[in-house]
Amino acid sequence: MIDFLAAAIRIATPLAFAALGGVLSERAGVFAVGLEGMMLMGAFAAAAGAWATASTLAGVALALAGGAAMGLIVAIIAVRYRADHMVTGLTANILAGGLTSYFLRALSGGGRPIAIHLTPLGAWPIPGLADIPWLGPLLFSLPPLTYLAIALSVGLWWLLFRTQWGLALRATGENPEAVFAAGLHPMRVRMLAVVAGGAIAGLGGAVLSLQQVGTFTDNMTGGRGYLALASLIVARWSPVGSVAACLIFGAAEAFELRLQTFGVPVSSYVIQMAPYLIALAVLAGLGRSSRLPAAIGHALPWER
Amino acid sequence: MDVGARGLSDAAPVSPGLAHRALRLGIGYGVLPRVLAAIALSMASAAALVALSGHDPLEAFAAIAEGAAGSPHQIGVALNRATPYLLAGSGVALCFRAGVINIGAEGQIALGGAGAAAVALLWPSSAAPLTTAAALIGASLCGAAWAGVATAIHLGRRVHEVLATLLLNFVAVLIVQQALAGPLGQKGAGFLQSPEMPPAAWLWKVPGLGAHSGFALALVVSAALSLLMWRTPFGFALRVAGASRRAAAYAGFSINAITWCVMALAGALAGLAGGVEVLGVHHRLIEGFSLGFGFKAVTVALLGALEPLAVVPAALFVGLLEAGAQSMQRQIGVPSALVVVIEGLTMLFVLAATARRG
Repeated sequence: MIDFLAAAIRIATPLAFAALGGVLSERAGVFAVGLEGMMLMGAFAAAAGAWATASTLAGVALALAGGAAMGLIVAIIAVRYRADHMVTGLTANILAGGLTSYFLRALSGGGRPIAIHLTPLGAWPIPGLADIPWLGPLLFSLPPLTYLAIALSVGLWWLLFRTQWGLALRATGENPEAVFAAGLHPMRVRMLAVVAGGAIAGLGGAVLSLQQVGTFTDNMTGGRGYLALASLIVARWSPVGSVAACLIFGAAEAFELRLQTFGVPVSSYVIQMAPYLIALAVLAGLGRSSRLPAAIGHALPWER
Repeated sequence: MDVGARGLSDAAPVSPGLAHRALRLGIGYGVLPRVLAAIALSMASAAALVALSGHDPLEAFAAIAEGAAGSPHQIGVALNRATPYLLAGSGVALCFRAGVINIGAEGQIALGGAGAAAVALLWPSSAAPLTTAAALIGASLCGAAWAGVATAIHLGRRVHEVLATLLLNFVAVLIVQQALAGPLGQKGAGFLQSPEMPPAAWLWKVPGLGAHSGFALALVVSAALSLLMWRTPFGFALRVAGASRRAAAYAGFSINAITWCVMALAGALAGLAGGVEVLGVHHRLIEGFSLGFGFKAVTVALLGALEPLAVVPAALFVGLLEAGAQSMQRQIGVPSALVVVIEGLTMLFVLAATARRG
């Protein structure tokens, strides 16, 4: 049982970062379809950075930068140039896929991908708490980035709902004209939110490459960005709620892995469909009741 | 009209961003110079990238051109590459024109390929044109059915069409893998693929060129779609729906009916693209044959400014680039992923250049 829950947490961690980044972006009024590309760029930047500098911290910093760079691209095209948010996000995902594949090979000089081998980050047990039976190994003996995800979900909740900044950000997603009337710049708020969201989503990629796999492979995010997007909608744009939704997806996937190891006669391909079908079912179940931020997807007037 | 300001003051939008989405997707006059400028900009960026990785950009582009059009055989390869993009991309263009952001071509192509393979393998016949036609019809039906699932979820439960089509893509690809692991698969092949199809089902190939007849079919389809879009009442209705949901509703057009029609058409065309790829190029169903095709379809639709006839040069451009990329990687060691970078950058620049300014 502990193994199962631990696997759920492990699988949910990269999703959680991406979902938190997406919450920032969507609360400010920009659809976060580009999460996949931000994660992928983060995963690559983290792996390549940690490999080149032999420093995990540099890898994490580069993941932030890589994700933010993808966020900046989305922000410029979708917010500044007012292109469709959905299509811009998808395009950013294609670009991230191309750039990471290209650099993975270009770094070696020839046409072959460079071989990155990193030791995945181990657990950081918290002294004292880690010895509690059951809870200790589950909650207080986690890898560093997982602690960060938990802290970040609470931190973002505080930022969004308890600070002036958060109010301005949410207002930009609901009623940008009011933000403008209050003397702020909705366009700057949006661009900042998308870039910051990209940096956080980039950390999700770093979880994959630094903490879980220890290398980078082409398209290693494999649709996780889209699942993160689904979970933040399911959680109605709440930071803590979307982390919880990611945990549910993580549990579903951990359950699949269990079934496979116990040799239950269900095809692995059918089992792999589960996260996507669950996401669809939950979204369909919410139906009309999922109220989007009012101004999401709307372009801002040019001069603001 | 100030698009943005109207979007903001819209108190109760039918769906966020829908009303002016089509305008922001680049519909308007004077698109061609902007698209060409976007291509030039992305090529320049790609050249910088190549230079950055220590190669000569001119040499790289020369290698692409050589590999894409250096011999009749290479041109045939490029035409075959462009065919599925053209078929699926024309359908995507129709959807986007109607304000329906259909990202589901990937899954529809995958299932279309599976449908074609299933018909050709399970009901083999020696009558060549009949088998091919039956397989292609099967492919279209599978693609349309999958688009129908997405439409039902979108319209029935108000799930955004981008999410519905995206998530179903993953499911469709897994369904194809499951079919290959089971009824359609070749036992003991080592990886997921079907047995080779009977030659009666293969598409006819131009001798000496190697291009299959699918490209001609795709040309006819894009011409027909262009007529449908500009010369029929339905085409008018879908363009109105794309330009303004409210205007369409006021004029008495049913948004739901239009969405069903364009989705089914686009699904059928994407399925056809999958069928053509399987019957014309691989002659068997292979796992992952459709990888990335769905996004390429969106790429060429946008490059073609959502005009089915203009999707033809756009698809040719992408087909030639991809056919040339492999030989570039072989000859001078520049990774062929450069082409994906060029495609992504071109799309971004097209989006930025054609979005309406208030």
